[in-house]
Amino acid sequence: MTGGPLAGTPALEVAGLKKTYRARGGAAIVAVDDLTFAVRPGEIVGLLGPNGAGKTTAMQLALALLEPDAGEARLFGGDPELLDARRRVGYAPDAPLFPRKLTGLQILVLHAELLGFARRDARQRAARFAERVGLAEPAQRSAGTYSRGQAQRLGLALALLGDPDLLLLDEPTAGLDPAGVAAMRELLVSLRARGAAVLLNSHLLSEVERVCDRVLFLKQGRLLRTHEVHAGGRTLEVRLANAAGLAGSLGRTIPEGTLEGDRFRVPVQSEEQVPALIRRLVEAGAAIVEARLAGAELEQLYLQIVEGRA
Amino acid sequence: MISWPVARAAALEKLRSPAVLAVGFCLLAAIFFGGSGPRQAFSGPGIAFLVLLTLIVGAGILSDELDSGHAQLVLLRPLTRAAWVGGRLVGAGSALAAIVAAAWVAGLAGAVLRGSQEPWVPALAILPLAVLWAFAWLSVLAAIGAVLPGWTNVAAAVLAVLAWAMLQGSLPVVLKRPELVETFAKVGKYLGPQDPLELATRPREGLGPAVYDLCWIFSAWLVAVVLFNRRELARRRS
Repeated sequence: MTGGPLAGTPALEVAGLKKTYRARGGAAIVAVDDLTFAVRPGEIVGLLGPNGAGKTTAMQLALALLEPDAGEARLFGGDPELLDARRRVGYAPDAPLFPRKLTGLQILVLHAELLGFARRDARQRAARFAERVGLAEPAQRSAGTYSRGQAQRLGLALALLGDPDLLLLDEPTAGLDPAGVAAMRELLVSLRARGAAVLLNSHLLSEVERVCDRVLFLKQGRLLRTHEVHAGGRTLEVRLANAAGLAGSLGRTIPEGTLEGDRFRVPVQSEEQVPALIRRLVEAGAAIVEARLAGAELEQLYLQIVEGRA
Repeated sequence: MISWPVARAAALEKLRSPAVLAVGFCLLAAIFFGGSGPRQAFSGPGIAFLVLLTLIVGAGILSDELDSGHAQLVLLRPLTRAAWVGGRLVGAGSALAAIVAAAWVAGLAGAVLRGSQEPWVPALAILPLAVLWAFAWLSVLAAIGAVLPGWTNVAAAVLAVLAWAMLQGSLPVVLKRPELVETFAKVGKYLGPQDPLELATRPREGLGPAVYDLCWIFSAWLVAVVLFNRRELARRRS
């Protein structure tokens, strides 16, 4: 909103964060333990982990909604509580709740005005964002009548309202229909293109795989591993009838690819690259039997890293 | 000190509440039929509904938002906690003022229809004075609501008033010291907002309570902000 992201300065940076909750009996539950990571402008980072891994707590600590026992969080290189930082952040919590008697539109207008828009602009903006998240008609009704999915969409509209430079989304696809999930994916990609930083907490591995640049695996509050999702997590896998005699020419034509047995694998940035790659393969003399776009096996990675399965 | 968008939203919320509208309608009817003009009506039968309306408008004045979790989203915006508390208070007060104004108009209309000869100045003055008194009580409810959940702020305020009344009545008898009645009466005047309606007819007597209520509003808002800050910091640390 106010000024673009500073080059080199992470939009969000947390270092050594620790948070312990006290259970009723007085037992300490470590929700987040020595967590360090950063989200840079133009980057989508996913948080993955089982329930209770500390993903939501990590987000709330980053926004100063909770106070850490140790460590610190910084937004745009500064204190998360600074009003200017807050102007540049959008947050969509898991299962958001709203004043039951206000309409979705009234809630959006309220938030737009709090972001500094004049009343007239706030109204126009509210209507535009309600439409953008597919809430144009329900936005006229009281929020108390909303389904889970509609409340989720309103929460998303509120998070996007100020064109934030940093967006934190906690389970944004929970409760959304397939069209909503697809729209969310497009939205995230467009935000990245605009240079916004996104921290996404989701259990939907396929979606995380498709949109995230990096994934952080959390378990019991600890960061187990950071995984760079190669090219949006997709690989073009081609089965060749004449693989044996092509090793040399394929290596020269497409050096980023690897040949294993009769399978040639190339990381791709987007689906649009696929036709050109196939053409180059054919030109290199490849006899293609089968071609498919595969994920980066995030599910297998998840099971291996988080669940400890081989 | 006051967030006007928050105030507008709070006012809308209160005015869309069926309970507020129902009691507001009763107040309107009581004032319309209640006296020879707004002044008499607000001093007489309307006062019970004004008290009830204040309690209903003030119920959950802060905790409605806190309990729903929406306050957390609002406070993530560039907004101070003090401005949020101020906005909620002014919003609820505006809703109450709108209903009281409608009741005042109804009272005036009723008086005109009945051919009442109530003097204009007191009739006009009674409106802001009634709002001032109710607003002072609303700020008390906001201060209590900064730490108590749901509608318990109203319960706590009502219990405190009843407890004071019982103490005032019983203690002098139990201790066999009748002179305490007068002392209690003097002290009691300063334990809550005072009735400023006298100002409409007797400026000298009414000015003190009106100024006292203004101070009370500011002090209660301050207490609400301090308590709310402490509550938020405790929540974040928990």
